[in-house]
Amino acid sequence: MFSIPKNAAYQRINRRKFLELGGGAATALGAGGLTLGLGSTITRSRVQAASTDDAKWKQYAGSKLVFMSENTPPSFAIRDNIKAFTDKTGIEVTILTDDLPVVQQKVGIDLRGGKADYVLNYVQDKPIGSPFADFYADMTPMFGDETLPQDPEGYGDEAWFPNFLSACGRFYQKGKIIALPYDAAIACTFYRQDLFEANSKDFEAEYGYRLEFNKDSTWQNVIDMAAFFKKAKEAGKDVPYGYAQHQGSFAWTTQLDIQRFLFANGRWMDWNIDDVYGSKEPGKTNWGDESSIAMLGKFKELADVCHPDNLANGTLELNTVYQSGNIAMQTQYHEFAASIEDEKTSRAAGGKTAYAPCPKGDPKWIKNGGEAVNGTNCGIGGIGINGNASDDLKRAAYIFAIWSVSQENQYNVLKGLGGTPTRKSVLEREDVKKAQQRPTHMPNALTFDPVYNFGIKDPNFVLGPKIPNGNEYHSILAAEVQKCLSNEQSPEEAAKSIQTQLDELNGAG
Amino acid sequence: MASREVIQYEGWPSKVFKWFSVVFIAFYMVWTVLPLFVMFMSSFKDLLEAFQIPPVGDWAGVTVFFNFTPTTKHYYELFANLGFSTYLFNSLVAAGGSAVVSVVLGSMCAYSLSRIEFRGKSDLFFWIISTRMAPVVAVLVPLYWIFRELNLVGTLPGLILAYTTFNLPFAIWILKGFFDNVPYAIEEAQMVDGATRLQALRAILPLVAPGIGAFIVLCILFAWNDYLFAAIIGSGGAKTLPAATRELVQPQNIQWGQIMAAGVVTALPMMFLGLIIRKYLVTGLTMGAVKE
Amino acid sequence: MSNSSTTIDRQKGFAGGAELFRVRQIPDSVESKPVSHVAADPPSVNPAASKAYYFWLMMPAIIVLAFISIYPFFWMIYMSLHDVDIGKVEWNNFENFTKLASDTRFLMGWWLLIQYSVMCLTLQLIIGVFLAVALNGSRWEKVLVTTLLMPMMVAPLVAGMVWYFLYNGTFGWYHWLFQSLGILGAKSILASADTAMLGLVLVDVWQWTPLITLITLAGLKRVPQDQLEANMVDGASPLRNFVSVTLPNLYPVLLIAIMLRFMDNFRFIDSILVLTGGGPGNATKILPVYLFEVSFKFFKLGRGAAIALILLIVTIILGMLLVRIFDRQQPKKA
Repeated sequence: MFSIPKNAAYQRINRRKFLELGGGAATALGAGGLTLGLGSTITRSRVQAASTDDAKWKQYAGSKLVFMSENTPPSFAIRDNIKAFTDKTGIEVTILTDDLPVVQQKVGIDLRGGKADYVLNYVQDKPIGSPFADFYADMTPMFGDETLPQDPEGYGDEAWFPNFLSACGRFYQKGKIIALPYDAAIACTFYRQDLFEANSKDFEAEYGYRLEFNKDSTWQNVIDMAAFFKKAKEAGKDVPYGYAQHQGSFAWTTQLDIQRFLFANGRWMDWNIDDVYGSKEPGKTNWGDESSIAMLGKFKELADVCHPDNLANGTLELNTVYQSGNIAMQTQYHEFAASIEDEKTSRAAGGKTAYAPCPKGDPKWIKNGGEAVNGTNCGIGGIGINGNASDDLKRAAYIFAIWSVSQENQYNVLKGLGGTPTRKSVLEREDVKKAQQRPTHMPNALTFDPVYNFGIKDPNFVLGPKIPNGNEYHSILAAEVQKCLSNEQSPEEAAKSIQTQLDELNGAG
Repeated sequence: MASREVIQYEGWPSKVFKWFSVVFIAFYMVWTVLPLFVMFMSSFKDLLEAFQIPPVGDWAGVTVFFNFTPTTKHYYELFANLGFSTYLFNSLVAAGGSAVVSVVLGSMCAYSLSRIEFRGKSDLFFWIISTRMAPVVAVLVPLYWIFRELNLVGTLPGLILAYTTFNLPFAIWILKGFFDNVPYAIEEAQMVDGATRLQALRAILPLVAPGIGAFIVLCILFAWNDYLFAAIIGSGGAKTLPAATRELVQPQNIQWGQIMAAGVVTALPMMFLGLIIRKYLVTGLTMGAVKE
Repeated sequence: MSNSSTTIDRQKGFAGGAELFRVRQIPDSVESKPVSHVAADPPSVNPAASKAYYFWLMMPAIIVLAFISIYPFFWMIYMSLHDVDIGKVEWNNFENFTKLASDTRFLMGWWLLIQYSVMCLTLQLIIGVFLAVALNGSRWEKVLVTTLLMPMMVAPLVAGMVWYFLYNGTFGWYHWLFQSLGILGAKSILASADTAMLGLVLVDVWQWTPLITLITLAGLKRVPQDQLEANMVDGASPLRNFVSVTLPNLYPVLLIAIMLRFMDNFRFIDSILVLTGGGPGNATKILPVYLFEVSFKFFKLGRGAAIALILLIVTIILGMLLVRIFDRQQPKKA
């Protein structure tokens, strides 16, 4: 809009004149307002149970839907590939993507306001599912609806990897499914095999066991390894730091980081509530008990030997630290493998990185008599349908939802931008099986064995806690633990403070 | 002459002060420019190049900062694949639109406020200015609700209206000062000559036009640089440059090259505009309290 | 030249405005009232004219403002008195307010906001005033002041991103610089609760010190030179002169600058959201950031409205003070 004044006035005319011109141009522009509104529209042609499959897919041809999603690979891939869906169904879908906190805000406002601007939502299990579960449509009635197209593989627990459907679909009440697993982020261990091999001798001389990481490696081992690298680094050796936590400003992944550690050591949980369904009234928290104080002490012990920027590294930053070769090991979500294996952006690419399950608890640490497990947790992004939408809108949205989580689509995403499948059948495809070994053209597949065959299975996997106040819980927990890690308070003080605040939060004081 | 004598009073403290000033100014200028320089340079670097940094204390290593092959691919990527031309357009329309709406409505209101006295005028005036001072975070939720009811969320008119919440009171406040300085006698003389009241008003407009132009630019600046309204109210259909820049922080890769390029695209036009209205900047940024 | 620019201005610039004027104008009031009285004092006021004409001109702006400020205000009051939780809105006996009294994050939020503002303002004033004094009348004043303008034009969000990049412990150049100078340990500035606030302050200082400098420069031009010279003849040192003559003259403009910056710290949190999000461990969770969290992360709209209301009232009180200072600064006509 400033092309007129810029070109015409900038060089030849003095400032005063420019300003006057600017006023004119701007007025002219203001007159023609622009509307780029959003909204879903529906057009429908009736179908019956006996209609052809094609007719069922096409029954909402001409409709428009809006999908609000996180900016993760599946959404980008689907956006690139949306034509396939429109060709199949005649439905146009606008996919909006944002950073998770922003998605959370927008979706929250939409749902809480009784609106359906975003008829399809990316339901990240805890940050979005926990607070807003009641606002999503129950998908179960549509699963068996013969007037809707259906996925031949179905939607039962057996169609997905273990626990996935529960993680993102089940909240507070039995029999209701609010979302289907769309993408997944499962924690596993990324470590620099090259560095481990190069330093194995020195490490063994000091600690008496080999510097290697496998499914039996414990958190005590991680502390040893981190301490070893830190000491070597500070002695001037050309090695990076050993380990770093997710203790930056993203409260949710900070909570997951703490949870993994505590769960590994005796399957300790924040509340005594059902891990799958969660609870709207979780009651008194377990924070402040002997286990939590002891584990927080150990967590701090680990933090003390971590990368010095531990408290500034959120999940993304942590991955950057690893990519740039500044740490030898991280517990990271398996969807990050693609960025690690990219030679253009990563110094840990090209076979330097190996993947393993999350570290195991140390039996010697356990106070609550529980079992030591490879505590693993997740963020399962589901695709859910806004409960405020009209029935037809919901049905049309359902068609997109089941398409987006179909085997074919997930496979395409994996092949393209590097997604994280949620359907078991994707892994049964020959080329996906092959891709789990190097050299691979699907780098995320390198993590599939530790993640899908081990980490997400019971007893290692923890889904919850699902409570309506989840986001505030994440925030309180993150803040108090960070204060503990930065020596502002002792582990005991931190645990007690968490206890007080959480009980107050849930009205259980 | 007095001033000659004065110079002789300048002893060593003055000299020290002068030298210190020069050093300090030099240091401060570097400090001011450096972040912008780094942003600019990094927008032409590949990710791994941007990560290059010398070991602590290795001052000679600073040269690695310049050790890269310039690439314009981030800019290309922004505009070719990431839709930044749309966001640039949205920014222009939202900022320009709100500036114009604010200044047009604002000058009408300011003109009137400047021409008449009535009871409660100062209260009205205070109310106007207090709407400008309200913290954005505080009004965001209710505004979103209203806008949602009117289907303004995610639209450019919605964003224009949102920016008007802070630009309109600003314009009224500032422009009133302008009109106050124009004596009513000028209008009156025109009307004596047979002009209608409207024609008389138009006759005085040229007197305030440069100021109005400058404050259109300032309103553009305020609106352009906003993030919170853009993120919440402009979400979806009316994404502006700051909101789009924030979105480049992606879960699996922070695209620093692109972020820096987007930063340059966002900041450069405003710096240019800032220079143009240089004369009015202090007045504008102090709400008219300080004039240069 | 000036002639042609006027034409452009009339035809293009305010054609739109004139249209609006015409529509809203009441012909009667223009034609029938006599306009003979000469408004001598105050010169801009037109006492004899019909007020209706002016009220009509005012209306559009007032209506728009009312719509976007009064309604939200009542909405806020309503919400702050209710428990707005998952799917319900219930009266809750001022609980949103009473609970705030024991909410450590709320109380800390105020304390941190004050800390943050005091740190920012102190540094900005010292550096800004000094810079202005040093620059005043210098040969390079124009060029240097132009350079100083640049940070102010940068969107706070972009500024936050750039500084985040500079502070980064892995590839940040300022991090490297601080470490090389020995003023920062291994932890990057945002990674430690002790220094994170300072990190935010530096960004604000970078962006807004120039404003203080500009304001001071404007103020310096108004310092009576003859008085300075007279004092010098009497043997006053430059420093003494600065303290006894220059500073008192600067005081009113600086006061305004302080108020405005202080209120801006309430208004803008873009860069803080990017840089620390309030962490580590709530060390930088100033009240507006906490409010953002409560409303947009926890979705506690009732509590959020209560906090917003308190914040708004404090802002309005500050605003009243500011307007009073304004009035003192520019004595009202009549």
